[in-house]
Amino acid sequence: MIAGRGRQRIRPPRRGLHGDELNFESTWKIIEDAFGEIHTKNASQLSYEELYRHAYRIVLKKRGEELYRHVHEFERNWLSTEVRISIQQLLSPNLLANMQHIGGTTTNERRVSGEKFLKGLKQAWGDHQVCMSMLADVLMYMDRVYCQDHRRPSIYAATMILFRNEILNSTVSHTDQRLVLGLLNHVILEQIQMERHGDVVDKHLIKSCVHMLDGLHADDMESDDQRLYNVSFEQEYLKTSRDFYQAEAEMLLRESDAGAYCRHARRRIHEEADRCRSTLLESTMPRIQKVVETELIQNRIHELVGMDSGVRFMIDNDRLDELNLVYELNARVDDQKAEVTRAIQKRLVEMGTELNNDAIAASQVSAPTSAPTAEGGEKTRAPPQEKGQTQQTAAAIKWVEDVLVLKDKFDRIWKQSFLSDNLLQTAITRSFADFINSPNFPRSSEYISLFIDENMKKGIKGKSEMEIDMVLEKAIILLRYVQDKDLFERYYKKHLCRRLLMNKSISNEVEKQMISKMKIELGNNFTMKLEAMFKDMTISEELTVGFKRHIEGLGDRDPKRIELSINVLTSMTWPMETIGTGNEDEQSKRPKCNFPLAVENIKQSFEKYYSEKHSGRQLTWLPNMGTADIKAVFPKVQQKDGSFKERRHELNVSTYGMVILLLFNDLAAEQHLTFEEIQANTNIPHHDLVRNLQSLAVAPKTRILVKEPMSKDVKATDKFYFNEGFKGNFVKIKVGVVSSGNKVESDRERRETEKKNDDSRNFCIEAAVVRIMKQRKELAHQKLISETISQLTAQFKPEVNMIKKRIESLIEREYLERIDGATVDSYRYLA
Amino acid sequence: MDTKKKHEIEVALANEARAISSGKLKEDSPLDTSEEFRLFCEACRRGDLKVCQEMLQANIQINARDIYDYTPLILASLCGHYEVIQLLLENGALCERDTFQGERALYNALNDRIRNLLLSYDYAKSTNPLQPLAAHITSLLTRPVPKTDDITITAYDDQTFHLHKFLLAARSPYFAKKLAAAPNTASWKLPSNIPADSLGVALQYLYFSEVSLQSVTRGLSDEEELVVLNGIDKIGRQLEMDRLFEDITEISDRRLLRQKRAEELDRGREQLEDWFKNNVLRNKVVIDTEKVDSIQWDRDNTIFADVLLRADDEDDEDDEFSPGPSESSTPRSRNTLGPLNGIPVGPVKSRSPSRHRKPRKSTVYGVHKAMLLRSEYFLTMFNSPFREAQSTPYLQIIKLDCTPQVLETILTFIYTERSDFGLDIAIDVLFAADQLFIEKLKQRAALIISSLGNGTTSTVEAENPRGETDQEDAIDAYEIIRAGWDTRVQRLEEFGARYIAYRLERYIDEPEFAELVQESAKRVTARQETDTVEVVDDIRWYLSERFRLRFEDTHFDEMMDENKIHDRDPLAAAVKELGLSDSGAEAPPLQSVPDLETQLGAGAVRTLDGEIAGDEFAQDAINYQILLGKIDALLERLNLDA
Repeated sequence: MIAGRGRQRIRPPRRGLHGDELNFESTWKIIEDAFGEIHTKNASQLSYEELYRHAYRIVLKKRGEELYRHVHEFERNWLSTEVRISIQQLLSPNLLANMQHIGGTTTNERRVSGEKFLKGLKQAWGDHQVCMSMLADVLMYMDRVYCQDHRRPSIYAATMILFRNEILNSTVSHTDQRLVLGLLNHVILEQIQMERHGDVVDKHLIKSCVHMLDGLHADDMESDDQRLYNVSFEQEYLKTSRDFYQAEAEMLLRESDAGAYCRHARRRIHEEADRCRSTLLESTMPRIQKVVETELIQNRIHELVGMDSGVRFMIDNDRLDELNLVYELNARVDDQKAEVTRAIQKRLVEMGTELNNDAIAASQVSAPTSAPTAEGGEKTRAPPQEKGQTQQTAAAIKWVEDVLVLKDKFDRIWKQSFLSDNLLQTAITRSFADFINSPNFPRSSEYISLFIDENMKKGIKGKSEMEIDMVLEKAIILLRYVQDKDLFERYYKKHLCRRLLMNKSISNEVEKQMISKMKIELGNNFTMKLEAMFKDMTISEELTVGFKRHIEGLGDRDPKRIELSINVLTSMTWPMETIGTGNEDEQSKRPKCNFPLAVENIKQSFEKYYSEKHSGRQLTWLPNMGTADIKAVFPKVQQKDGSFKERRHELNVSTYGMVILLLFNDLAAEQHLTFEEIQANTNIPHHDLVRNLQSLAVAPKTRILVKEPMSKDVKATDKFYFNEGFKGNFVKIKVGVVSSGNKVESDRERRETEKKNDDSRNFCIEAAVVRIMKQRKELAHQKLISETISQLTAQFKPEVNMIKKRIESLIEREYLERIDGATVDSYRYLA
Repeated sequence: MDTKKKHEIEVALANEARAISSGKLKEDSPLDTSEEFRLFCEACRRGDLKVCQEMLQANIQINARDIYDYTPLILASLCGHYEVIQLLLENGALCERDTFQGERALYNALNDRIRNLLLSYDYAKSTNPLQPLAAHITSLLTRPVPKTDDITITAYDDQTFHLHKFLLAARSPYFAKKLAAAPNTASWKLPSNIPADSLGVALQYLYFSEVSLQSVTRGLSDEEELVVLNGIDKIGRQLEMDRLFEDITEISDRRLLRQKRAEELDRGREQLEDWFKNNVLRNKVVIDTEKVDSIQWDRDNTIFADVLLRADDEDDEDDEFSPGPSESSTPRSRNTLGPLNGIPVGPVKSRSPSRHRKPRKSTVYGVHKAMLLRSEYFLTMFNSPFREAQSTPYLQIIKLDCTPQVLETILTFIYTERSDFGLDIAIDVLFAADQLFIEKLKQRAALIISSLGNGTTSTVEAENPRGETDQEDAIDAYEIIRAGWDTRVQRLEEFGARYIAYRLERYIDEPEFAELVQESAKRVTARQETDTVEVVDDIRWYLSERFRLRFEDTHFDEMMDENKIHDRDPLAAAVKELGLSDSGAEAPPLQSVPDLETQLGAGAVRTLDGEIAGDEFAQDAINYQILLGKIDALLERLNLDA
């Protein structure tokens, strides 16, 4: 073991610490004096060590209870005498009077006296806190040992409660039984009211008073929901604010316009938020915001939106900022933004309907106005029908453009004012769809297709890729709104067909781009046939080249040989009515055109070539769709300028035109052919012949033939001469055939188109029904209808009636049967 | 809980052995064949708290192993000595999962209570015993109030660090020299070739922070990182902190990391301790109390102190009572004069040679607020607006209400986390620590009292069942219990109760004992809980423990259990039980019953023993009953319903 160490005993604790009895009174006197010094701010010479030691000893001697009581009593005394009196002195008469709403003091006076009161209270509170934390420092041992053992609140907490009891809950004076706390609330509220009216108040001062209220509790348990701030002040505050804003909202609605109202409301909301940050507590923010929102927005938004200067006015005048304000305000109180959405939709549908009506009016007005002129004057250059159509086409394009402008406008509003809100986007989209598909305006599909057609032919000329892309995109956007996609497809096919065959399209690339865009938007099914059309064009090109090589390969180098360029069209994919073949009957009825020998030769040679390549296919020639380039030599005839020159022109004419002109090749200069002779020779259908002759003999710039008598109309007895004196400014001359562009359909055509469309819809519906039934075997009527509709919506919106009819028809044809005795109408599929 | 499979443990052990033999890892449990260690192990085996505490104070290797590969912790765990295990763990005995020795201690734990205790000290959860000190010093780097820094170091990019001269001097020989040459330096500029980041790392290291290079160099490019690393290397050399670079390099192994950290903390503590001894203690001033106010220390003193602490010698009055070398007495204890056996206790120097001289002396230490802040008392003091926190031309002198010896103990703890002091001042330290809110020191004091306080009975109490008290006591049990109450240290109350229980024969009839019981009862009623008297409950429990050990082989234990149930119905019932179990063992004859009342009055156990039973067991049984009876009688007399 470790030896040599002195033995040790535990010693008792020393006397000074433990042994002698402690004189409580004298020790307390020392402490009390020191506390007095602390309260009068003379603490810097006090010794912490000494005070702590005294308090420590008292507690150690089990006199903690007494000490605690003494300290508590000391503080109560101090507060109820010194502090309370100094607070009471701050209460100037006008402050007290004012609380009873007796006028006679100016705002300024009230503010000054209020501030004085707040300052005094703040000072007292600050002093109290500082002193109490010093006390708590000194009495740390008591807090830790006595208070914890006996479950007493720490001395700091206890004296805070004292402050509440002795100062805030004390009466204003002996005669006046109001509490200081009530007065404090009132003064703060008044100051805030002043600030709302634009005065400058001492925010820091108020804030520190508010912090005081926040630090004190209404009960002695110090529970969080019992803070004086929440229990006493905040409720008052919310109540007065509610009253204030209610009145203000009424006044504003009466006196200012919607924009100003919005701006004001927003300013108020921000002001209140700022006030919570700078003057009150942030915890109040959601509550006061709720009050402001309820009073200024929730209860008023309906009125606000409907004001004369409301949403409608803002839209019409492009008040994007104000719209944004309305939107923001509405969004604050309503996630759905119902009011704004409603107003926007209403206005949008209104504007759209206006456009529709304009378009209808334009197409209807043009007809009657042009009709009389057509009847009245023989000399009108275009037939009235056609002129009307041109105008209608213009109206159609205008409609589309207008819709796009509208779309742009609302897009801008949506982006800038509505912060790209999804809900509003759907609302806007729905409204667009509503008026575009309005039953009163059935032509949107056609118009959109026309618009694309117009752009493909002219619009995109000289535009950059970006711009073109934008135009296409716009078209697609509109297309998105269209419900009857099948109708659109029909029109598009028709228009595309014209463009392709007549080479009207400016850029094949753009066409294809458009198709691929549609593919993305509407799916593969939709563009399949359109793509097939393009494919036909490509194959035809190859055929042409192949045929040319084939001819060359024959070695028969005939300088006068005719070059043939051919388009072979698959009859199913191309719209036959456009091509003019119409239905089968008409085609077989119609006599075939007699081609000149040279042409006939090459035609037969191609037929032979083609049938070698693809046996079994039948070619039908469509001369009404073709064109021909002819080199024409005009003899030396004296011109008006006196020159005797032989002139060569390259004439681009329709196939029929070529056939007609070739007839004159064999004639002597003075000889003529009558209309009937031409018809007999060529076997061209009457209607086509008239038009071709008109363009060759009537149109002033391309008067290659001379007609006798000279008039607009072509009669059967008219004589035609070769115009030797023809003079053209260009070498190449294009002889246009009247009415070859894509125009708005006349009503008759339209009905036809619709009928055809309905026919094809019928097929679609039947197919869909059969598909569904094949899978389900048995199905209730209602279910079948709804499934059919859901299957077809991508193409069009089928009418229930139509579906019913189709079902009937299917039953007749024994695809389906009714299930007898079923509780609900049901069908069974018959395999 | 996941436990490793045997083969997994074997692999881990093999790896560990390889790491140790290659020198990468320091062995956790080195072999120790010294005689002291053998004794230590023996004490752990027997559960001898006192010897354990003495050995620990003599700096024995707590984690070593004996020739049979047992560590003290495993032994204590195996033999089921809860208090010893607690003592070992509190003193840094390791019990880490997934190590050989750790798992053994857990596996061998006698019962679940011990196992849970061990688990709660698993390294993953516990911290190094020096961590509180280190954490405090680290916090000084960032603590804004109260102001304790006295030197500013500026890096070339104007980043400044507010530092403490005494720490710099203690930790860096470079600063020690510099500051010794010019103690009043208030700022120091860093050479421009060292980046601020590097300086930051070095300072954190210097302030005992666990520096991780990774966190410093995160987000830096390779070149920047190189610059910082170079800077660290340079500054390490300049400040003569030669291990800086090596110590902060990243180590992934958890154990290695811990070892390094522990080493570093130990080393830092040594440095701090050296400095503390050579400066603070060496520069203490002993002066007549009357003249103490004339001490004027400049702010710029050589030990960078910013406050003076003063402790007065005890009053003359006290001196009369204080123990002299040959005679000793405590004022209120019984007359226990007699020869004292030497109690070997840790190194205690005679610190106050002037104690008996007159006039009264005061001792003044120049110390550093930065360190004093470890006590909540000083923290509050220096943060308050009172006089002590004011800045004065000369250093403030703050008086502490304790003896210089106690103050020095406290300072030593605050500066070095060391707390080995003798039993003689333990109570004083306990109170002072309580007053100053130094919780850890309080616990240490309580620990010292409860482990050393058993007087000369260095053997286990269980071996002295009859409470034979031929030796002198070193403590006043009443005082201990009261101190426990005053300072709210449960351990002391329990210790006192146990102490009394094992010597109840001597205490039971003393008026002071009755007083104590009454005090305890009052404490309880003040809290308004149950009706029991805590001290009595504790004593009863320890009493049963004391006797049960003797009765284990007989049927008496059953009997006693029943007795416990019938506690409320005093003596008579107990004696009846005795009679009923007559057949079991040699029980006392029934005729003892009528005698008991008178014997109670006489209070002489031995008389009873000598007259009635010749057998030891019977004697114990009767003694037990008599003691219980006396307690009940006492309670009745005190009008306490228990």
